Amino acid sequence: MSSSTGKEKLITDEEEVLQAVILADSFNKRFKPLTTHKPRCLLPICNAPLLDWTFESLALAGVQEIFVICRSHAELVKAAIKNSKWSKPGTGLKIVPIVTAKETFTPGDAMRDIYTHGIITSDFVLVTGDLVSNIRIGEVVRQHKERRKTDKDAMMTMVVKQSGVNHRTRSKGDSAVFVLDPETSQCLHYEAVTGYPPKKYARIPREILNEHPEVDIRNDLIDCSIDICSVEVPSLFQDNFDYGDIRRDFVHGVLTSDLLMKNIYCYIAKEGYAARVKDTRSFDSISKDILSRWTFPLVPDDNHPGGHSYEHLRGNKYIAKDNSVILSRTCKIGNNTLIGSKSQIADNAQVTASVLGQRCTVGAGSIVRNSYLFDGVVIGPNCVVEHSIIGSGVQIKERTRVERGCLIADGVVVGPHARLAPFSRLSKRRSDGDEDDEDEDDDQEQADEEDEEDEEDNESDDGDDEDEDEDEVDSELEEVEANQDAEALAKLGSDTNAIIWPPSTVNEDEEVDELEHPDNQRLMRIGDNASDLVLSDAGSVTSSESESESDSDSDGERFEGSNPSSSTTSLPLSTPSNLVAQADSAAISEFQQEVKQSLDRAFAEGHSVDNAAVELKTLRMASNVSLRLVRDAVIAGIVSRIKIMGDGAISQRKEIASMIARWGGLIDKIGGVDPVETVELLQEHCASSDRLPLFGQILAALYQDDIVDEDDIRAWHAKPESQGEGVKPTSLQENYKKCWVTGAHMIKQFDEQDSDEESEEESEADADDDDDGESGTGNPAVKPLEREHNSSKDASSSEEDSSEETSNEGDEYSTGEDGSEQDDLP
Amino acid sequence: MATDTSSIPNQRVVETLASRLRRRQVVGSHETALETVLVLRQVISKARFSNIDQLVEIIRSVGRKLVEAQPKEHTVGNTVRKVLHHIREEYHTASQGTAVVSTSNNTLSIARFVLQGQPRKQNIPQKGTLNESHGTLKENNPDDPDAFARTLKPVLMEAIQDVLDELETVYDNISKNAKDHIHSDEIILTIGKSSTVEAFLKAAAAYRKYTVIIADTAPSYSGHDMAQSLSSAGISTVLVPDSSIYALMSRINKVIIGAHAILANGGMFAITGSLLAATAARAHSTPVVVCAGQFKLTPQWNLYHEYGALDFADPSSVLGFEEGNLVDKVDVINPYYDFVRPELIDAFITNDGDHPPSSVYRLIKEAYDDEDYEL
Repeated sequence: MSSSTGKEKLITDEEEVLQAVILADSFNKRFKPLTTHKPRCLLPICNAPLLDWTFESLALAGVQEIFVICRSHAELVKAAIKNSKWSKPGTGLKIVPIVTAKETFTPGDAMRDIYTHGIITSDFVLVTGDLVSNIRIGEVVRQHKERRKTDKDAMMTMVVKQSGVNHRTRSKGDSAVFVLDPETSQCLHYEAVTGYPPKKYARIPREILNEHPEVDIRNDLIDCSIDICSVEVPSLFQDNFDYGDIRRDFVHGVLTSDLLMKNIYCYIAKEGYAARVKDTRSFDSISKDILSRWTFPLVPDDNHPGGHSYEHLRGNKYIAKDNSVILSRTCKIGNNTLIGSKSQIADNAQVTASVLGQRCTVGAGSIVRNSYLFDGVVIGPNCVVEHSIIGSGVQIKERTRVERGCLIADGVVVGPHARLAPFSRLSKRRSDGDEDDEDEDDDQEQADEEDEEDEEDNESDDGDDEDEDEDEVDSELEEVEANQDAEALAKLGSDTNAIIWPPSTVNEDEEVDELEHPDNQRLMRIGDNASDLVLSDAGSVTSSESESESDSDSDGERFEGSNPSSSTTSLPLSTPSNLVAQADSAAISEFQQEVKQSLDRAFAEGHSVDNAAVELKTLRMASNVSLRLVRDAVIAGIVSRIKIMGDGAISQRKEIASMIARWGGLIDKIGGVDPVETVELLQEHCASSDRLPLFGQILAALYQDDIVDEDDIRAWHAKPESQGEGVKPTSLQENYKKCWVTGAHMIKQFDEQDSDEESEEESEADADDDDDGESGTGNPAVKPLEREHNSSKDASSSEEDSSEETSNEGDEYSTGEDGSEQDDLP
Repeated sequence: MATDTSSIPNQRVVETLASRLRRRQVVGSHETALETVLVLRQVISKARFSNIDQLVEIIRSVGRKLVEAQPKEHTVGNTVRKVLHHIREEYHTASQGTAVVSTSNNTLSIARFVLQGQPRKQNIPQKGTLNESHGTLKENNPDDPDAFARTLKPVLMEAIQDVLDELETVYDNISKNAKDHIHSDEIILTIGKSSTVEAFLKAAAAYRKYTVIIADTAPSYSGHDMAQSLSSAGISTVLVPDSSIYALMSRINKVIIGAHAILANGGMFAITGSLLAATAARAHSTPVVVCAGQFKLTPQWNLYHEYGALDFADPSSVLGFEEGNLVDKVDVINPYYDFVRPELIDAFITNDGDHPPSSVYRLIKEAYDDEDYEL
């Protein structure tokens, strides 16, 4: 045909037909309960079923024959294909749905099924039924075929897309490290990475480094799940009956096998976009990618796979073109929003970064943010819906709040005045719906569990589980229904017909695959930033700094001792060695923030010392940090609150004395008494702030209030750290030294007091002598000591006057004599 | 007739072109125009019709389908309009011979002036009577429904061939006057890679020695290709960043740019950066000349009110996909076209002579029939 593209011609010249296989089953249950009545590949993303996006992606690539492997809800998939535009003549696509047996539980089983069907005649494209891509796969196929001419063992080409590590579309819970040869882009090693627990090391067989002088180790690739496979790939699955997952088992197996001698290549797509909707989080991010046109020309206003037409407005807003959308004059439509035909937005409603299906209604004053509403959703007035996926026909009645991460299955009614907890999953009560559908869904769930098991140990016997399939499913659903918390249900409003699905938990009996572990799955949930996950767990494992250090140390040891034949490379993703420390420091800084706030409150509102102490104790318990940190924070709080009086030492001393008298008690009431540490911390704070000159005075005030005593000061003084050893910036070290010298004076005084009870005048003269050598920090310290010695705690005015003079004097002297003084003291 | 025409747009050829247009596998106004003509030729050669209205309806339905598939490639619709225009013309000459001549012999009058550009309207009422008298062309013949098509088809094929020829010679025709527009030692600024401008400049280079400054036209950087092509043709070429267009404008004698579509009001859609160049040129009173084939004349005139008409491409050329951290924090828009207002343009050089923006509407009137403005 004259109008066929050059690319198509190229492919047809080389090979008669380019075939593609779509695995239309997800083999997991991440979208449950949305997938109760339809398979995942028929969920709409930007108002077109995922399967249509996949077809469009393949059509774009010049594929002519497509086999759709469907398992759960196979009838629905077949009907959808039949009714879609793709079955019309003239599309140039031949789509053949293939229903596999119910006992197909993994992609591997599906591949074995493909083999037994014998449908594959040449190199084919293997994709999943939830792909959104505009990559020119034809080009990849061409490269693959060219490579096959020279390298007969090149069996597969995986399409990957470069992205940043933190790209929203890159799944944190399910990614992989690729080791590639930069020249040939051969994939040398594949290692799956789960997000939680954070994986720290990838093991790369040593032979790879022997054979390849240069390797690229990539952890920034999005696996698009587009594979160009040779004919022998299905047969390999047939031979290795334990291969379940295509990546984790097949690719890893082939690459690590000593016998197969097959090669797998990667194609790093420079242009184009490709990603898989593998979980609710990627559903969110791919929707956003589509709306912000990364998938161009597959965008709503241009080549919408569902055949709708949308008008593209400023700020990537897409409104259905047929003039059937009713937008109130006062409603607000935010950026990156898609509104399907016949939808209505009422007065003062706000819709931001969301996708509304056809015939949706948003009531007056409601807010819809970052949410995905399928067709026919009705949201009542004054509702809030955030970060959620709402199935078709759902009714949310007035004043209901749907928090982030909720999945609401088709036909559910919620409200009025309901409040959904974050991440709740609702589906329709079974008595309302038909049981058959539920059964089918549960088949899938069952399959998913099966899948997990398969991944865990590949030898799991499929037969046994198959028998249990129906029963277990029924029982599970009954269980869900039976275990409904009446209280929680009551919160869903009076008109509800919903049941709440329990949050996924680990079943002790069952070994759960890392990938499907609830904690890892959290990284794949819509609206879940999971920041608490990593943080809190790092914190709870490592209760203090020292522990965290030992923890990371032991990790290192473990790795060094465990596998001498493999070199280990840390993942750039997690910056492994620092990860724990990082998490810890984050927790600490958060805690410090908290303490600061509570102290601020205490100071501002004049709480009693006891109350403040209780508050600090609870804070410490909650954040599980060391006592030293609390003390540190308290001292910091007090020191920073002492005003620096410009107008002389008297007022300064008064200020300090009143402050210490009021709050000094707090230092010992936080859960432990360690005066030496107190002095240390005081030194640290004074040295690193502009309150250096106050160190002596504060210390004296503490001494006076019996918070520290003589022995403590001596103990502190004896420590080498107190002289500033090991303190990095030299300026800081100097400050430390100054504090230390001040302390030295104090001790000297103690000594003098101990040795002989001298007259006040003499001691004062002594003090004056000392002051001469001091830069002012020492002077004030001396005076209170005297007073203490005279057991007259109330400062007499005359003494203060004299001290002021001496301190003023001292200020004028240079600090040059410090050194000699210090030498004398020890 | 209804069944006949409704099946036509679903023909394989039409469907294929429609989906390729939708998928942007056919891009560029010249290429889409050519493809459209080829598809129309196939459709007409296969079509069954017994009168002119059926034929027109068939072509229009095909045109609607194609335009719907890619409303931003205006040349698709333009080509369909052009073909319709030619078909009607052929039909009228075939059916009534001297009729056109006799009606156009009227003396000059205001009424005639108003109706100018709409000769068909005048002729249609006469067609019925003349048909019978001539008898060469029988519509709606019940005995032999294909007779009309049989007689007309060779003529139609000729008409389409005319359109095709025009498309194929468009570059030559535009550039034949190139030496009149470019003088020796001039400095010309251009932006992007337009085949029309490329041919025009190369044609001028045969006669004149001049310098071309090419803006590199971010983010597509098509200016690089243009620079390569021109310098390999022996033209002294300077490639500059877009940001220096304004700074260089004082040295430039003429701005020559290509167009994506020319609207009825004399404005045009052209590659991003054209508005920048045209505005800078206006500030320095440098003439802006647009080289474009007639197939780019589009009867619409208010498209620039539509935000989406600028055809926003994917942001990857502005912000790399690998900038993962930024992708969800920054909204990137990457319009492919600029709308350049008519007052910024001094002349259009077409294959049908040179015209100011203010007379574009007349060119459109002559090229297409009024009833086809809405396909």
